[in-house]
Amino acid sequence: MKQKNYKANLFATILFFTIPIVSFCQSDSTTTEKTEEEKPTLSLNVSYHANTNNSMYLLVDTKAKIDGKFTPIKAIKVNLYLDENTDSTIIGKFITDKNGQAKAILPISLQHKWKSKATHTFLAISEATKNFEETTTETIITKSKIEIDTTNDGETKTVTAKVLTFNGTNWVAKPEVELKIGIVRAGGGILSVGEEETFTTDETGVATATFNKDSLPGDAKGYLTLIAKIDQHDEIGNITQEKIIPWGKPSKIDNSFFDKRSLWSTRFRTPIWLLFMAYSIIIGVWGTIIYLIMQIIKIKKLGKINTNTF
Amino acid sequence: MEKLSSLTPEQITQDLLPKKFGKWGKIWTAILIAICLIGAYAYYRQIRYGLVVTNMRDYVSWGIYISNFVFFVAISLVGSLITAIFRLANIEWATPLTRIAEIIAVSAIVFASLIIIVDMGRPERFMYLFLYGRIQSPIMWDVIVIMTYFCISLLLLYMPLLPDLKILLKFKEKSGNALHKLYRFQGSFWQGTKAQFKISEKAITILCVAIIPVAFSIHTVTSWLFATTYRPGWDSTNFGAYFISGAFLVGAGGVVVAMYIFRKFYHLEKYITELHFDKMGKLLVMLSLLYLYFNINEFMTPAFKMKKSEAGHLNELFSGTYAPMFWFAIIGGLIVPIIGLLFKKGRKPLPMFVIAILVVVCAWFKRYLIVTPTLLHPFMPMQEVPASYHHYFPSWEEWAIAMGSLAGALLIITFFARIYPIIPIQETLTEKNEAEKL
Repeated sequence: MKQKNYKANLFATILFFTIPIVSFCQSDSTTTEKTEEEKPTLSLNVSYHANTNNSMYLLVDTKAKIDGKFTPIKAIKVNLYLDENTDSTIIGKFITDKNGQAKAILPISLQHKWKSKATHTFLAISEATKNFEETTTETIITKSKIEIDTTNDGETKTVTAKVLTFNGTNWVAKPEVELKIGIVRAGGGILSVGEEETFTTDETGVATATFNKDSLPGDAKGYLTLIAKIDQHDEIGNITQEKIIPWGKPSKIDNSFFDKRSLWSTRFRTPIWLLFMAYSIIIGVWGTIIYLIMQIIKIKKLGKINTNTF
Repeated sequence: MEKLSSLTPEQITQDLLPKKFGKWGKIWTAILIAICLIGAYAYYRQIRYGLVVTNMRDYVSWGIYISNFVFFVAISLVGSLITAIFRLANIEWATPLTRIAEIIAVSAIVFASLIIIVDMGRPERFMYLFLYGRIQSPIMWDVIVIMTYFCISLLLLYMPLLPDLKILLKFKEKSGNALHKLYRFQGSFWQGTKAQFKISEKAITILCVAIIPVAFSIHTVTSWLFATTYRPGWDSTNFGAYFISGAFLVGAGGVVVAMYIFRKFYHLEKYITELHFDKMGKLLVMLSLLYLYFNINEFMTPAFKMKKSEAGHLNELFSGTYAPMFWFAIIGGLIVPIIGLLFKKGRKPLPMFVIAILVVVCAWFKRYLIVTPTLLHPFMPMQEVPASYHHYFPSWEEWAIAMGSLAGALLIITFFARIYPIIPIQETLTEKNEAEKL
């Protein structure tokens, strides 16, 4: 029995010392592996954005996978070029902000080049830093646009969005493009005009949506802003088109309560009845609490008198 | 009770004096402290990095913290039920349970206040509530009523403790110097004279009367935080009564759990008898039936109409993502107690303990179900947001803080039971004397 216990104790002792040593060696080897590890890869991306006014901009986005999560990388120097990496085609040199982003617009000097053809390449080169290697990326886009049209036959309101791409001489219909058709919400979001979240263009480049949001509040005259938006399309990029339509309900701004005491006013315009009720309750209940604390003080005094008496 | 009459006052006093932690007491306390420390570290991370460490986003902006807050407020109501209502109604069998109920109330309300500050994200802005608060806002009412309820509960815990402090002062050797100093500071002035008793009795009666409307207010106002917000599932006139009835149920469940644990580990079988479990069991059945009634009210009318705006929310609860949790909360927290406790065997200590734990756990999930699914079904469609905004599951920091707060509340109860008699000694002795006179 003693022999058995001795063996068990010996085994436990070996295990006790072995586990930390093995863990230490493992953690040490992990550290070594880490130091030998390559720098994390910088994910560099350039996206093209164009809107209704035909104004366009480019958005540079830098991020890296840190602790298993994509994290924006700030202060990365990025050189952006149009079509080729030369001094004459440089769009600009940018530094990413805290969101890992930098916004660029095409300089006037490159406008002629921009207009000269239908398809362009945006070339981005990030400078090497202590943590990241130099990274290059390119985005190829074909100039495109959206045309919005609306029809209202009294019963059904229809919105059609036509997507066209430029082939160098003409605008041609672009089929199989997914886009959102909706109303611009206060705050910037898009409320789809129909049941579907997105719509897809047919062989004629047209996407049709039935407008079924009849009771949407518009501005004072009932105008709504209709929007068609293509997001992150491989060939087209990000483009939007807006149109003002009179399909909303006119919003009447009710100013009758302005500057009056109400439940939704500032604290300086609290309704009198509420002030009266709230403060009556507060005074009543806290008056009782103060009275009770006075009673404890009274008990305390009585105790002291008795102690002195005895 | 028969057992009590056979005991001498000295025996009763010895039995009810606070006891040092045994092995299990130390393990229990260490576990609670460890959970609190993990919660504190998670809160440090939340302060350091902001609320982004939580999984609350634009839509689910009230997550597990507010569920926990509602749970704490609910369980704190038991102080008014057991102590005030029972005392005013001269229900004598509840005497050994009054202090348990009051300490549960105090500890719960402390952590209800703290968890609200945690949810604020920027705790240094808490003072803004008082500097710039609008009395029109139910949030302001809630802050005021929580502070009021805390003060009244503390007084209701302290006043009946005074005669016991006098008894505790006699046992300096047993309590040790530090505790003796604490008892002397808190109650050395109590001489037990007729005049003192008269003032004390009057004050306790006033407290019992005052705490009932304040207790009802605290949970009604908490329910109004939801009901005054226009959202599916919250747009209800039933909410005040629904919350109050649920609060009494979880509070009574919490008392039963505490009764069982104190009885078992402090060997209080002569004081917390099977009769107490039987009575509390019947009370739990009544409260379960009451809460079931309000649940039917709450869900049946909107489910009958199935308005488009409510349908998504209700379907998620009845047969969607939240269905397992919803039916667990309804069956475990309402149906099982009603069926189980209707039978005398079900009202024995152990089955009562198991059912009461089920009631408390289900009550916590019920609060989660009141808060989260509604926020995921706003009246306006959720568009133009990352996919993750359509779902909510708390981050580890949220879990750690929530569990830390629960552990903190239990820690207050644990330390209280270590320092003070968990069953009122003086009241037990008085009741024994009165019983003997009769």
